[in-house]
Amino acid sequence: MVRKTITILSQLALIHVFYFAGVGLAHILSLPVPGSIVGLVLLLLSLFAGIVKLEWIEKAGGWLLAELLLFFVPSAVGILNYKEILNWQGLETLLLILISTFIVMAATGFTAERLYRRKRKGEHHS
Amino acid sequence: MTTALIILIGTIVTYVIYRASKVVYKKWPLPFFHPLLLCPLILIAIIQLSSLQPSDYALSSSLWTHMLGPATVAFAIPIYKHAPLLRKNIMIILTSIAAGTLVAIVSSLLLSLVLHFNGDLLISILPRSITTPIAIEVSKTIGGLPTLTTVFVIVTGVTGGIIGPYVIRLMALKSPVARGLALGMGAHGVGTNKAMEYGEQEGTFSTIGMIMAAGMTLVWAGLLIPSLLQITIL
Repeated sequence: MVRKTITILSQLALIHVFYFAGVGLAHILSLPVPGSIVGLVLLLLSLFAGIVKLEWIEKAGGWLLAELLLFFVPSAVGILNYKEILNWQGLETLLLILISTFIVMAATGFTAERLYRRKRKGEHHS
Repeated sequence: MTTALIILIGTIVTYVIYRASKVVYKKWPLPFFHPLLLCPLILIAIIQLSSLQPSDYALSSSLWTHMLGPATVAFAIPIYKHAPLLRKNIMIILTSIAAGTLVAIVSSLLLSLVLHFNGDLLISILPRSITTPIAIEVSKTIGGLPTLTTVFVIVTGVTGGIIGPYVIRLMALKSPVARGLALGMGAHGVGTNKAMEYGEQEGTFSTIGMIMAAGMTLVWAGLLIPSLLQITIL
């Protein structure tokens, strides 16, 4: 238990190194991309280059991705700061987001599914 | 109370209520019990019933908000593990996300016009499909209000996490690439979290879909959105 905690914490520290490197780099070069995305690219490159081994970060990374919803909770509670949204226009906005999200998912999924089937058919014939 | 103590309490309370919400959702998987709906609602009730200010809670839970950064970095892991799979499907990914980002922007814009939304609200809602940090960047670029955009991103995530499985069933999406891209494109990190429940491949396609969607929306924000806004508002 103690050992597992230490492993996760040290792996989490290593992921933080990439996160802060990304934030720093994005700031210094004033990139239009957030530091966390730059950190993702840095980690990906390090993995491919063999500088970082997958086992060094896999446990903490798995935990971060599994508990992703937890990290959105404070922002969701932050909706409290927008009490003015809780009115008729708020309901309309919710409806807009619901319909638009439905269309976006359907369009993206439909396109991908079609292309996937066509590609598989093509591979089958050749 | 010292700041350290406030953060300690906020971190623990948020975590415990989040865990409990997950248990409830696992036992009764109803849309209303989605952890990103149930947990914030309980916390909002606690804040309203006590003398706490929303800003106090924001400070006390800042450790969890901070973790979104390292969690984004950790998305490198599934991409690395499944690099050959992604390379094999690169054309499907690019085409689908190009379609998805365009549909996201245009449908938000048209629906906003139908509902007679005005300037700030309309502009701030356009980048709502993509992950928070980049949505904020896009919002700034096109002249929206970043904080309002954040709210729309969260609402989109919760909505997409709930309706995602219904869309997959309704559209008969069978392949991991279609399922993953639909979830990642439509509901960023929250959708990707759902995709990982389907399987590792779905999770990977969702991750790459989420990142590509953010990148492409950044491009549209520079090239397409300004002229779209000019045509429709002016």
